[in-house]
Amino acid sequence: MGKILAAVLVVLVGLAAVAAYLSTFIVHVNEQAVVLTFSNPERVINEPNGTDGPGLYFKVPLAQTVEFFDKRILDYDLPTLEVTGQDQKRLMIDTFARYRITNPKLYYQAVRNERGLRDRLKPMMEAAVRGVLGSAKFQEIVKEKREVLMKDIAKQVNEESKALGLEVVDVRIKRADLPEQNQKNVYDRMRADRQKQAAETRAEGTALANKIKADADRQVTIIKADAMRDGERIRGEGDAERNRIFAEAFGKDPDFFAFYRSMQAYEVGMKSSDKSVETRMLLSPDSEFFKYFNNPTGAPPGPAKK
Amino acid sequence: MPWNNQSGGGRRGGGGGGPWGQGPSGGPHQQPDLEELLKRSQDRLKQVIPGGGGPPGLLIFFLMLAGAVVAAWFAFFFVVGADENAVVLRFGKFDRQVDSGLHFRLPPPIEEVRVAPVRTEHVTNIGFESTVAGRGVGRDLPSESLMLSGDENIVVVGFTVRWRIRNAKEYLFNIQNPKDTVKEVAESVMREVVGESDLTPLITEARGKTEVAVKRLLQDVLDYYGAGIDIQAVSIQKSEPPALVIDAFRDVQAAQADKEKYQNEASGYASKVVNEAKGDADRILLTAKGYREQAIAEATGQTARFLKVYEEYKKAPEVTRKRLYLETMERVLGGADKIILDGKAGQGVVPYLPLDQLQKRKEGGN
Repeated sequence: MGKILAAVLVVLVGLAAVAAYLSTFIVHVNEQAVVLTFSNPERVINEPNGTDGPGLYFKVPLAQTVEFFDKRILDYDLPTLEVTGQDQKRLMIDTFARYRITNPKLYYQAVRNERGLRDRLKPMMEAAVRGVLGSAKFQEIVKEKREVLMKDIAKQVNEESKALGLEVVDVRIKRADLPEQNQKNVYDRMRADRQKQAAETRAEGTALANKIKADADRQVTIIKADAMRDGERIRGEGDAERNRIFAEAFGKDPDFFAFYRSMQAYEVGMKSSDKSVETRMLLSPDSEFFKYFNNPTGAPPGPAKK
Repeated sequence: MPWNNQSGGGRRGGGGGGPWGQGPSGGPHQQPDLEELLKRSQDRLKQVIPGGGGPPGLLIFFLMLAGAVVAAWFAFFFVVGADENAVVLRFGKFDRQVDSGLHFRLPPPIEEVRVAPVRTEHVTNIGFESTVAGRGVGRDLPSESLMLSGDENIVVVGFTVRWRIRNAKEYLFNIQNPKDTVKEVAESVMREVVGESDLTPLITEARGKTEVAVKRLLQDVLDYYGAGIDIQAVSIQKSEPPALVIDAFRDVQAAQADKEKYQNEASGYASKVVNEAKGDADRILLTAKGYREQAIAEATGQTARFLKVYEEYKKAPEVTRKRLYLETMERVLGGADKIILDGKAGQGVVPYLPLDQLQKRKEGGN
C-alpha cells in the first residue's frame, strides 16, 4: 500500500517537473526571446528599450514556443572585395561589420536565423562598400578619409538593415591593399626610390669629401704663403740689421772704410774664378805699386803719387 | 528525451546537455558533470524504490546518500580561480559578481555562473605567429603583416596587443567574440594609422607614435562596442620594408656609411696635408730666421774685424794704409799674369816683358 503511494508520489513529482519544464523558460542577460504562439511572434522579451528584462517567464506548453536571439554585438566578416576607386585605381578591400539585433521580431520574420542573415547582409555590405569607395579616390581610401568612408558605409548599410531588425554598430575596413599584380609595381618603385636615395647619399658624400679636400688645399696654400711672407720679412730684418751694423761701424771713418773695403774687393775680385787661367793685367809702372820700381835709391818720389 | 527539441530550436552556441541549456559562452566548467550526477541519481531512485527492502537496498540507500551529498556540494558551491572573476545570474538576470575563492550559489537552473579571467593579461599577436615559447617574433603572416603606407609603399608590420578584462559583466554579455574583435579591430586600426603615415618614419623613429595612436584608437573602438576590455599596450615587434626590397633599403644604409667614410677619408687627407704644410711653414720660418741670424752674425763679424783694423789704423793712419795697400797688391798681383807698359818710354809700346811669349801663350790658350 505504502509502496504504491510512494510510486504515485514519485510519478506525480515527475509529472510536475515535466510540466514546470514545459511551461517556463529563462531569458539570460545576453539573450532576447520571441514567444511564438502557433508560430506567430507575439511577445518579445529583453529587447533593447523593451519593458521585459531578463528573467524567468511562463508560456503555454505546446501552444507556445520560444526563439532566442543574441543580444550582444555580433561579428560579420565580408570576404575581400576588389573595388575600383574614382581614379580607376583598384584596391582589395577587406571589411568587417559589428551589428546587433535590435528588433528580434522583425529579425525573426525577415531572416529567421544567422545563415539567412548572412545571405541578406552580404549583398548589402558589398553594395555599400562598392558604392562608397567607388566614389572615393585611392588616396582618400588609404590615407585621408578612411574614418569618414567607414562611417558612410555603416550609415548606408544601416538604412537597409533596419528592415531586417538589426543595427550595424560599426563597419571597419580591415585591409585596403593593392591587388597582387600591382604590388610588383610598388616594389619596383620602392626599390628605384631607394637606389636613387643611395646614389644621392653617396654623391653628397663625394661632394663633401671634395669640399673638405679643396678647403685643405686652400689652407695649405695659405699656410705656405704666410710662411713665405713671414720668412721674407725675417730675412729683411736680417738684412736691415746687417746694414745697420755695417753702417754703424763703417760710418766711423768712411774714407778708411772705402779704402779698406776696396782692398778686400780687389783681392777677391781680381782672383780668377777658373784656377787654370790666370788673371792677366796690363799695368802702368807709374802706379803707386811701382813707386820704387825705377827708384833704387829709395828716396821718396816727388810728383808720382797714386 | 523528446522535449529537448521543444524550446532549444532557436538557441545558438548552447553549452550542451540539460533541458535548461546554457548560455552561448563562458559557461561554468562544472555544470555538465552536475547534470549528469543529478540524472544518474534520479535514475537510481526509480530503480531502487520499487524494488525496495533488504540489506542490499540499505547499502544502495547509503550510497545514494553519499552521492546526494557530493551532488549537493557541486550544486551549491563553486570555485573561482585566482585569476578570475565570476558573474552569478539568477534566472538569467545579473545578480552579483564575485572574486576568486569558494562561493555559494543556488543550483541551476535558478542560478548560473559565468567566469571571466579578469586578472590574466591576454596577448594578441598580429602579423606573425607566436612562437611556442611565446617569446620573440615568430613566422611572418604576410596576409596580416603587409600594409599600405600613405605614400603608397608597402611595409611589413608585426605587433602585439596586450589587454585585460576591465569589466567582466560587459566582457561576458556585450560582445560575441571579444578575442577576435580585439584582433580584427587592432588590425584595422593599425592599417588606418599606417595608411596615414609615410614609409620612412614608420620604419624608423615614428614607431612609438604609431603604437600610441593605435592604442588610443583601439581603445576608443572597443569602448564604443562596450567590450569591457582595457588595452594595456600595443607594441610593434617589427616594422620594416618587405623582404623583396630590403636589399635596396640596406643599400641606403650602406650609402650612408659610405658617405661618412668619404668624409672621414677627406678629413684624413685634410689633416695630413695641412700638417705637412704647417711643417713646411715652420721650416721656411726657421730657414729665414737662420738667414737673419747668419746675416747679423756675419755683419757683426765683419764689422768687428774692420773695427779692430780701424783701431790700429787710427794709431798710424798713413803707414797702415800704405801697408794694407801693398800687402793687398802683393797678393792680388802675385797670382796674376802681368804685362807692364810704360806709356812714357819712347814712342809706341815698349814691352818690358816678352810679348812674343805672350802671343804664343795666347795661341796655345786658344
